[in-house]
Amino acid sequence: MTRRGILAGLVAVLAAAGGAAWKFRLFAKHYPPTPYDDLLSQIVDREPAIAFGQAARKSLPGAAQLAAQIRRDPRGLPERAATEPGEARTTEVAGWVVPQSVALYAALAAQV
Amino acid sequence: MSGFLDARGLPRDTVLTPDLAIIGGGPAGISLALALAESGRDILLLESGGRTFEANVQKLYEGSQTGVPYIALDGGRLRYLGGSTNHWGGWTRPLDRIDFESRKGMPYFGWPFARDAIEPYFARAQALIEAGPWIYDEAGRTTSDIGPLLRLGPGGVYTSWFQFSKTQGNNLPTHFGERYQADLTKAARITPLLNANVTAIRLSPDAGRVMQLDVATLSGNRLTVKPRYTVLAAGAIETARLMLASNDVMTAGVGNGNDLVGRFFADHPIPRDVATMVLFDGRIAPFYFNNVASPEGAVMRAVLSPRPEFMRAHGVAGSLTTIENETPLDPFATAAVVTTAQALGVDASHAKAFSLGCGMEMAPDPDRRLTLGTDRDALGMPRLNLHMTISDRDFALFRQTLTELGRQLLAAKSGMLRLNRNRREEWLAAMDWGNHHLGTTRMHQNPKQGVVDADSKVHGIGNLYVAGSSVFPTYGSSNPTLNLVALTLRLADHLKKVMT
Repeated sequence: MTRRGILAGLVAVLAAAGGAAWKFRLFAKHYPPTPYDDLLSQIVDREPAIAFGQAARKSLPGAAQLAAQIRRDPRGLPERAATEPGEARTTEVAGWVVPQSVALYAALAAQV
Repeated sequence: MSGFLDARGLPRDTVLTPDLAIIGGGPAGISLALALAESGRDILLLESGGRTFEANVQKLYEGSQTGVPYIALDGGRLRYLGGSTNHWGGWTRPLDRIDFESRKGMPYFGWPFARDAIEPYFARAQALIEAGPWIYDEAGRTTSDIGPLLRLGPGGVYTSWFQFSKTQGNNLPTHFGERYQADLTKAARITPLLNANVTAIRLSPDAGRVMQLDVATLSGNRLTVKPRYTVLAAGAIETARLMLASNDVMTAGVGNGNDLVGRFFADHPIPRDVATMVLFDGRIAPFYFNNVASPEGAVMRAVLSPRPEFMRAHGVAGSLTTIENETPLDPFATAAVVTTAQALGVDASHAKAFSLGCGMEMAPDPDRRLTLGTDRDALGMPRLNLHMTISDRDFALFRQTLTELGRQLLAAKSGMLRLNRNRREEWLAAMDWGNHHLGTTRMHQNPKQGVVDADSKVHGIGNLYVAGSSVFPTYGSSNPTLNLVALTLRLADHLKKVMT
């Protein structure tokens, strides 16, 4: 086997390993399972949501009630967040004007 | 009579008998004199100061204050030819139509006429102020080459526009004294009298007419003016002072039979850093930040204003929100932006944040008032005390407009907003003021609710008028100079008719 062949094989193996790591989120932060994973999975990045949700959760109920409240609306987070401002359904969290659903989902992320 | 005179050099006890005495050589007084230059009447323009700033003249403005902290009474205005245009910023914008309306649930709001009454005078006022062609809210159509308007969802806030008096490069806004002194000199029937302080308005025994004005100089000279007509154009603070202090016939002061002179003082609060606006793509057109030259040759800047429909529906007062400097976001703010942008499906990797400022409208308040104090100035005039107020409702109403702006940014997926002021002490800690003195001789057809009538004539006194922003019964959020000049030109037309 030539040196060129060895190098090409090595690059191919590394690329495949990187792709697998990305696909299966091997390096992403993993959270313990919760009863609300169906909702929390709609949050793209949980870390900032948890940080923001700390402020949102203060005036909201506990996780179970919050999840029930969120599930009452069949729409997912992206659809709700996009439409709520046009429906005047915004709320204020630590001064930030946000769609109501953003506050609810972030609060849930911070509660579990 | 014509050309400038100095009251200090006239023989003691000189008696002058013009057709019209204008007290105050600021933008209102100068505009009025020039508008009447060809009327065939002798006009005496009495200016307390000279052609330049003098500290001993400025000291005549000193007074005391109670209530909410406010700029010292000798700090926000200038007492020499040209008045406070000698330090103005040149911001120019007409009052909105809604500013003239009586409004449900908003006591004391409304003028005795609609904007149509001063509309015909705006073009000449704009020319006197030298603010270029009249564009204002038409600017969005022609500034697209410079940059796009802020993307806002449908709602109550829109991009509105200021123009500027001459301000571009090293040009300062028009200083009325410097700019128009040659015109005043050339006018055959106008006599500007410098260093002439009117210390009393003397009424007839029945209080129905002004008989004479007492004039004093800081050098000790005394003169008398016996005009057929008098216009007070000394600004909202000094006009009220002179009326209150002239109390020999009307014991409460000239025109003050209903205890209104000096009440309803107002200014435009300018709280800083009222909100933080984040734009997800980080891009904003330069005309939101800086004064820019429009294709038509005007100098302009974009601001954010509530729409009249929103103001009516929500009982909101006027405001003009400015986009100030770029500002950093702390980790919590970054978390708020990332969470919201991701939920909206928007890339915020280039987001930038900007601090917002504002010029607010205050609700009229009779308890925000000027009264005579016990101290006296170098001419023996009683000094004033200002009791300043600002209500929590004023802040709450403006907060509604900011909340609406935040909602519209989200609806357009263009950005988001944080409200930075909540409690009263937070608002007051960030407070600046426009030095736009307003309201102390408010206009109303009913003498029990206003000092002057719709023609700016003092109720009950046949030959006494007031020019300037002291007559504004509702203030709007626009800077007053353009509007007070337009209103003064309207008064000039009225005086042409009555001074027969």
